[in-house]
Amino acid sequence: MQELNLRITGADWERLRKHCAPSFRTRRDTEYGAIGLLGKRCVNGTIRELIVSEIVWPEAGDVLSQPHHALTFSSRYMRRAHMKVRTRKLAGLITFHTHPRANEAVSFSGYDDEQDPLLVENLQELSPGTLLSSVVLGKGSQQGRVWISPHKQVPIGNLVSVGSALRYLPLDGRPSRPAPAPSEIFDRALALTGSGALAVLAQRTVAVVGASGTGSLMCELLARAGCKRVLVIDHEVVKLVNLNRILYATAEDAELLRPKAEVLKRGIESLGLGCEVIAIVGTILDNDVMRLLSQADVVFGCVDKDYPRALLCKYVYQHLLPYIDVGAEIGGDEEGIVSADTRVNYVAPGRWCLRCTGLVTARRLAFESLTTPERKRKIALGYSDDLLLKQPAVMDLNMSAASNGMMLLRHLLQPFLLEPFPVTLAQNQVTYNLKAVASPRARNDACDICRNNAQYGFGDCGKPIGLPPEVAAALRSED
Amino acid sequence: MQIEKAKAEIDQLASAGTVVELVTLGVQPFVVVGGVEAPCPPWDRKVYEILIAIPVAYDLGTALDGFYLALPYKFQDGEHNRVNGQVVSFRNQDWKAVSWHYPDGKPFRLEVDNIESHIVHCRGFFLQRGAVNART
Repeated sequence: MQELNLRITGADWERLRKHCAPSFRTRRDTEYGAIGLLGKRCVNGTIRELIVSEIVWPEAGDVLSQPHHALTFSSRYMRRAHMKVRTRKLAGLITFHTHPRANEAVSFSGYDDEQDPLLVENLQELSPGTLLSSVVLGKGSQQGRVWISPHKQVPIGNLVSVGSALRYLPLDGRPSRPAPAPSEIFDRALALTGSGALAVLAQRTVAVVGASGTGSLMCELLARAGCKRVLVIDHEVVKLVNLNRILYATAEDAELLRPKAEVLKRGIESLGLGCEVIAIVGTILDNDVMRLLSQADVVFGCVDKDYPRALLCKYVYQHLLPYIDVGAEIGGDEEGIVSADTRVNYVAPGRWCLRCTGLVTARRLAFESLTTPERKRKIALGYSDDLLLKQPAVMDLNMSAASNGMMLLRHLLQPFLLEPFPVTLAQNQVTYNLKAVASPRARNDACDICRNNAQYGFGDCGKPIGLPPEVAAALRSED
Repeated sequence: MQIEKAKAEIDQLASAGTVVELVTLGVQPFVVVGGVEAPCPPWDRKVYEILIAIPVAYDLGTALDGFYLALPYKFQDGEHNRVNGQVVSFRNQDWKAVSWHYPDGKPFRLEVDNIESHIVHCRGFFLQRGAVNART
């Protein structure tokens, strides 16, 4: 059975720990806690992850203290949270509470074991199928479980916190333990990425959307960093013009029109690094393909179009995933080349989306999301020449972009870069300038993709993202 | 459904009395707008129908641009030089693309613009601004 994890934003996790900190500071042994709302991520109909969509912070009178300082949530507080679950069609509720004397290991008490089944029974009477998850917090450990029914509970493997870092904390009640040493192949990377971070990378699935110049390099870097499972998504086949930049692509692949994703699978798996590549031949615009991202723990965007970027942003805020977008751009004027930039953007809960950063523009998004005949009519009118410019296909530039993307992932797993990571990190090869863009160029505090996303953390409880296959096919240009 | 926001805007416009309908040509959504007033002369009638393409990513925040004019039409007993695009056939009628764009300094703005304001922008073509453009 696949491990079940609990996903939460870094900001919520930090605030929750802060909210509960007095529990471990005073001598009164008072329990602290809060209730959260749960979304979920499923693979083939089976729940893979629970997502904390929102924490409903307690107000005065919401948390009642029982004899022996045990905590009970008031029925008013429970109702308020449950009402939100019902109106938003979410998966259920999660309760967090502390055990003040648990300085090292922590576990559910007999009182918890008695109360949780009663609560889930109550919730399921009101709305059948509602899940109840509970997490008990010790000073340096936590234990979690989910109740499918009053008689069936399932332990939760890890708490995944996504924000300025990507942290995996065990929910088995025991304090974090040192990770096993990696195989000697990865020994010399330990100076940058410790064994704990390497172990996380080895156990996770990383999706790479786009298997062309930058995407193929990204897969190579992931495999050589110790990632054991890469999901590659691309709908295109290899052409002769791609041979200057796609790793492992051959003239024969171009002749036989082999899909880029499958060529990459063949190449990466032949390295002998134990990295499995799942090749998906399809466009990420298609909601059937987008749905396959439910297997992913991290997403790399290596595409040169705005529409897939915008949809990926929408997806990652709904599923609380980290998304690293990498790309390269060459700018010029009559005098010649003025910039040759590589760029990395990090999109995650609490950070700005690519529309707010100004990378995705309303005009380009409109152009790309017209059907092919309508786009041709638009081109015929003129005024679209700038939208037809192709991104550079220069392997050296792609390499720099992919390299910066990989460094960012290493940093998320084990921070070593200066914080906060900028909105955009751009490297101009012409001027030797590394530019950290600190503020979003098109900031919108009401943005319905990032700041004001109505389905934030809903996961699969929210609306599917992407287009019906026939619409996605109608948008695919002949490039 | 990808264009729920567009649908909601169109429903709201329709309920406020604008002659407007969301249609699809293949899978490409369009808005048909009726009752677009024009001064006659120089136009050959007082009311026109126009067709506006809606990008399928409209709900993600796209700009709108240009429109199609139902054929036949006459402007100053001839053709308007900005009605110069390709023709699309829809409902047994030909519609020609009009090169009517937002100026560089005044682009479609996501925070304030929508289908309603784009219709207003398109109406400008039939008024003084469009007539001036026909001469230049």
